[in-house]
Amino acid sequence: MTEIIFNEDTKRFRDSILKIGGAERLMLCYQCGTCTNDCPVAKRIEEFRPRNIARLAMFGQKQQLFSSDLLWLCAGCYTCYEHCPQKVHVSEIISALRRLAFIEGKIHPTIKSLLTALSRYGYIMEIGEFENELREEENLPPAPEPAINEISTIMEKTGTLKKVGGN
Amino acid sequence: MEGTNFLKYAFFVGCTTLGRLPGYEKSTRKLAATLGIELVDMPNSSCCGTTYMEGVDELTALSLAARNICIAEDMGLNILTICNGCTETLTKTNKILKENPEKLKKVNEILKDTGREFKGTVEIKHLLRILKEDYGLENLKKAIVKPYKSLKVSTHYGCHLLRPSDVMSYDDPNQPTSMDEIIEITGAKSVQYPGKMDCCGGPIMGIREDVTWAMGLEKIEVVNKYAQALVTSCPFCFISYERAQLMIDNQKKLPIIHLPQILGLSLGLSEEDIGLRDNKIDSSFLKNNLEARK
Repeated sequence: MTEIIFNEDTKRFRDSILKIGGAERLMLCYQCGTCTNDCPVAKRIEEFRPRNIARLAMFGQKQQLFSSDLLWLCAGCYTCYEHCPQKVHVSEIISALRRLAFIEGKIHPTIKSLLTALSRYGYIMEIGEFENELREEENLPPAPEPAINEISTIMEKTGTLKKVGGN
Repeated sequence: MEGTNFLKYAFFVGCTTLGRLPGYEKSTRKLAATLGIELVDMPNSSCCGTTYMEGVDELTALSLAARNICIAEDMGLNILTICNGCTETLTKTNKILKENPEKLKKVNEILKDTGREFKGTVEIKHLLRILKEDYGLENLKKAIVKPYKSLKVSTHYGCHLLRPSDVMSYDDPNQPTSMDEIIEITGAKSVQYPGKMDCCGGPIMGIREDVTWAMGLEKIEVVNKYAQALVTSCPFCFISYERAQLMIDNQKKLPIIHLPQILGLSLGLSEEDIGLRDNKIDSSFLKNNLEARK
């Protein structure tokens, strides 16, 4: 386990986690480890321990949570969500932490590139002329034209567009 | 909806299938046509918003998903999905916006400049769920013209079709049965195996590729002991299990089959109809297991 330093700053960060929908039950975690035990990623990545992420979150250890790609290793399978006896929902704690990281502009480059594509093409990959030609060969209709102007309007209004490097 | 003659849905294909898996889309469209289910394309629909966006900015994710739902509302049709990710994203958004007036207000404020408004008039269902709940397994049984005679397959439901269970409210999140029931209707045997609800690892493919391949191959190895193929209901799971076997040289390749493909052949569709050649692991053995047309 990693060293914990608890002070006004870390408490403030912990409080900001608790305010995010889905993360309200964080303090009910009694560290039983069901989440880690059942996590398919923890089985294969030594540093990814959902129980430890919950513990670090309870003590607002922002530095340790944000300083690596730790938060981005969750596959979002919701196994911990379903199995947690306290309904703490570590997957939602991780989601809350990702949202707080994103406010500071922190996001995993791979996820950022998917969201950049979304803002540019309306899809998480380009589905343009080339793809539509292939679709035609398969007797499939052209992919829907995703009204990019509407998507960029939405992402601009929420402030996401700039953060994912879209334009 | 009553009877099976009037089933009509807005068809939300989803990015990955649109751009990468013609076989999945083709087999879905042909299956629907054969069963008399009308699928209407959704003009100007886009990516569902992704679970990734939900993880970084909820309001953006809700608004992007809501925009797609609004298109179906304008069409006056419920949505049929074929991707677990899209199903979860759209279902969650639909539920949140129907239940939480504060979030609804925020989202409609964002949507205002696109000329759209979320009203909450439609439902979202995955193809599998539509077959089970709307079309009905009894009706499906009647439509089988070429049952499989000696085929053993296993099913992989994937995570987001069933979880989070308080959002998805479909089947048992730990021991689901609906896909197995459908498989058995085709005459094939759905073989149980340990680790059935284990994740494919797809969502972290772009982050720790090696972990995705390891997660994929673990299931492949287990299923290989019991069955001739693995049937999936999600494009991400399909790609994870196919690609894991193409990236890492496992000795015995296990064919990965889309649910509408395995159903399609037993409904009398051809290999061409179900786009079986698009599957990267040779799946042509399927037809050898069909009984002659009755």
